[in-house]
Amino acid sequence: MVAALSLETVAGWDVIVANSGAQGLQRAAEHMPDAILLDVMMPGMDGPTTFRELRKNPKTARIPVLLLTAKVQGADQRRFADLGVEAVLTKPFDPLTLSDQMSRILGW
Amino acid sequence: MATPSNPAMAAALARLWTRFLPEIENRVAILETAAASLAAGSLTAEKKQAAHDAAHKLAGTLGTFGLHRGTDLARHAEAFFAEEDRTATAQQVTAGIAELALLIKTRK
Repeated sequence: MVAALSLETVAGWDVIVANSGAQGLQRAAEHMPDAILLDVMMPGMDGPTTFRELRKNPKTARIPVLLLTAKVQGADQRRFADLGVEAVLTKPFDPLTLSDQMSRILGW
Repeated sequence: MATPSNPAMAAALARLWTRFLPEIENRVAILETAAASLAAGSLTAEKKQAAHDAAHKLAGTLGTFGLHRGTDLARHAEAFFAEEDRTATAQQVTAGIAELALLIKTRK
């Protein structure tokens, strides 16, 4: 929620918010966003599982995904990176630079 | 992050802080309960897991609102309750949780 608001406020991006993995899958297929910023710890389906489900669906399989996590240990970061996401971003993030950071990673 | 120069962002973060404060305070209360149980020698697995989850979420959130010390304290508590940090004592963690509670109270 904070991430979505900061992107809307700072970068003027159109942001679609989902409050759970299941809702995220539905909204991703519905709206086909340019990128997905996905939290690791979510109610119900966690971020890695949501990512795998996104990849299973041919419609959402090619949407770039950035994982957002409060886990700072190297082993966790590597485990998440090995999933095949574009990047793993660490929380807390800076609301003023998040959009630039995402743009840089995604080559926008 | 503590004092965003973008007025729209500062206003948005202030609104979000007010909105999420009850949730943040609830997470601190979970940590305080766990600390009290720890001191009494009655920390159950459920309370420990709840404390770990609460600390993890606080670690990911507080820094975005400028409370970097809060993120550090929450990370220490998270590592303690996950038994990743075996060097910290119960007294240190309890003191850290008390400092965390005070930081949040005085930010209002």
